[in-house]
Amino acid sequence: MIAPSPPLDRYWSDLVTVALLGTDRRDPPEAPPGLLADLVDDTIRESRSQRMLAAVSAGAAARRAGFVAGPATDRLAPPEPDPRPACPAAAAATWRYVVAEWPVLEDEWVLTVIERGWRLPPEVVVGLLLRHRTDATRLARAAVAAGPIARWVTEHVPELAPRTSARVDADAVTTVPLLAVPPELADLLGADAHTFASTLGAAFASGRFGAAHKAVLVNLVARCRPDVLRDAASALGAVDPLSRSAGLALSLADLARTRHRMLEELVR
Amino acid sequence: MVATGRWTIEQVAAVAPSPSSLGAAEAIAVPQRWAGLGCDDLMLWGRCSGSGAEPYETAVDHVDVAWRCTCPSRRLPCKHAIALLVMWVRGMVPEATPPPAVARWARTRAGRADGPAAKPGAGAVAEPDGADRDATDRGSTPQPDTGAVPGTGDEPEPTDRPEPLPPADGDRARDERVARMREGLVELDRWLDDRIRTGLADPSLARYATWDDLAARLVDARAGALANRIRRLAGLVGSDPDWHARVLAELGVLHLLAQAGRRLADLPGPLADSVATATGWQVRQADVLAGVPDTDRWIVAGRSDTREDRIEVRRTWLRGAASGRWAMVLSFAAYRQSLDRSLTVGTAIHADLHRYPGPALRALVGERFGEPEPLVAPPASSIVGACDEIGTAVAAEPWLERHPATVLAAPTRHGGRWVLTDDSGTLPLLASPRALATVLAATGGEPASITVEWTPHGVVPLTVHAADRALDVGPVADPSFVGVA
Repeated sequence: MIAPSPPLDRYWSDLVTVALLGTDRRDPPEAPPGLLADLVDDTIRESRSQRMLAAVSAGAAARRAGFVAGPATDRLAPPEPDPRPACPAAAAATWRYVVAEWPVLEDEWVLTVIERGWRLPPEVVVGLLLRHRTDATRLARAAVAAGPIARWVTEHVPELAPRTSARVDADAVTTVPLLAVPPELADLLGADAHTFASTLGAAFASGRFGAAHKAVLVNLVARCRPDVLRDAASALGAVDPLSRSAGLALSLADLARTRHRMLEELVR
Repeated sequence: MVATGRWTIEQVAAVAPSPSSLGAAEAIAVPQRWAGLGCDDLMLWGRCSGSGAEPYETAVDHVDVAWRCTCPSRRLPCKHAIALLVMWVRGMVPEATPPPAVARWARTRAGRADGPAAKPGAGAVAEPDGADRDATDRGSTPQPDTGAVPGTGDEPEPTDRPEPLPPADGDRARDERVARMREGLVELDRWLDDRIRTGLADPSLARYATWDDLAARLVDARAGALANRIRRLAGLVGSDPDWHARVLAELGVLHLLAQAGRRLADLPGPLADSVATATGWQVRQADVLAGVPDTDRWIVAGRSDTREDRIEVRRTWLRGAASGRWAMVLSFAAYRQSLDRSLTVGTAIHADLHRYPGPALRALVGERFGEPEPLVAPPASSIVGACDEIGTAVAAEPWLERHPATVLAAPTRHGGRWVLTDDSGTLPLLASPRALATVLAATGGEPASITVEWTPHGVVPLTVHAADRALDVGPVADPSFVGVA
């Protein structure tokens, strides 16, 4: 915003100069002829400081209310076009949920976006770039998913620039990272829906799993076959509410549902 | 929410802030981790050994559904409260007599519930269904747009107010208050005069006490709105190379208010209302709600959170689809309380709004008719059109600090700073790197419909209205301050 007129702008500069020194040392400036001068003259003030305050009030009000737009200017050169559609708003909402509650799913979410030909929506582009500034692999994956807009935005907003110069392994960018699953559960990674759900359900019913197993069970649900997720969520949700691990089972059921939903939302 | 009898694990899951927090609670839902466990027909309690030196003291009201815990978690209920409930569901918590602190809490809660207006969610106690009511209650606090916030002498009017005074006493109380405020305004003007005499280069301006002492006196004079303005002004000193001009302009506005506030009786009605609000006069929420409603389809155009002293303030800007008029709904949150989330940016609600007196935009949401409609954008104007609109509002109330506008414009750089531009002109853009990057990513540098909040120093982007989504990019409350629940 710019000042409404050059005389008022000059007058305001003079007022600021006097205000800096104080009216004990400097007289207030004369207002430029016009309504502002009339207004200030109309006020009956005994002292220099009172006259100055009246002038400052009138000047500040006039400048705020009378601001005008600056001159029109050129637009930025646009980023290279990206023909891919932005993934749906619901998927962006799921990404936010994943980041908040189940970050273990984030890598798979981004890779699914890439594999299915979506591009990241704007709010996720910025969120991902900021989240992974120090992680070269995830940052590279985010850049692929975002497309040309990622580099374009980073050029204009340096705060988004990477904080790592680590080399990136191309395979690592395109592959879901491995998660630790103990040998006794490893068979379930490739199991069909019935086997997966019944095995987990039975293990919870027998009290085999407790809070100490949470980390590996989260890894298991995050990397099991996608087609088992719905049944797994049902089986986990049906665990006896009075059993010692009912809370863990309900929590894992939410993980299974979230992963199922995130993959369904990204179907094209 | 009132629960009867022992809960089920599903009910515990329903009050947990997230499914993963239930999993976290599971790990500590073992009696070995707890001391002093007990329950009765109203409460559960216990002390859980955590990472701190002292155990966390947790209590849950399982009938009226409330919890408190001495742990530092921002998520309510915390995992300790959930763990206590989980153990109770499983029959691991013995019947006992509540310890004095729990009994006291129970009595306090019962007293509130029996009172004329129970107010849930205050302090360390939160109720899962209390957020909205809480926000509504806090909505009775004065308008922080003019700076008034709770805890600074402009607390919300107590809902359990005493009986009204007899007319003669009421008049006397009002006269006393007018006199106190008048004295405060005279003192403010004297202080401004001193600043102008000694100059802005006076080193005393750099001392916070210079400003804080005046703010305290204004609070005493029941001019809390002006006190907050003074505190904000203190933050401007030395903040950038141009701070002298910015501080001077604000001193001018304060002088205007100090003079106008002493001449309220001589001012036209709407202007007097505006000056009264800006100086700190409160209007009872009940009086506002008793006014004629402004019914429209209100488009939720933007949201902006700011910290006012020790209170987080959320401004939600609404625009009437039929009338085109703007309105602002405020929500407040003290430490660990929650801001109102019932108005979602990019939606529209058909509702009654009840406006506060005067030309200011503040309003309360009254009756709502139906569910919010998704994906609605307010009409956008040109940059010059927005300047006209804002200038008209600021000319009517020169003490305004914010005003909304929706413009069809593109973000670009000009003269080393970010601006919004169209064929008619530019407006300087004030945005955090994250908000700026999101605006750029959403627009690709092309014109887009953007709701902004005008301030004397530039416009703050609040919402990018895209074809298939509304991107809320407004300033967000500090998550370490407000509650997550």
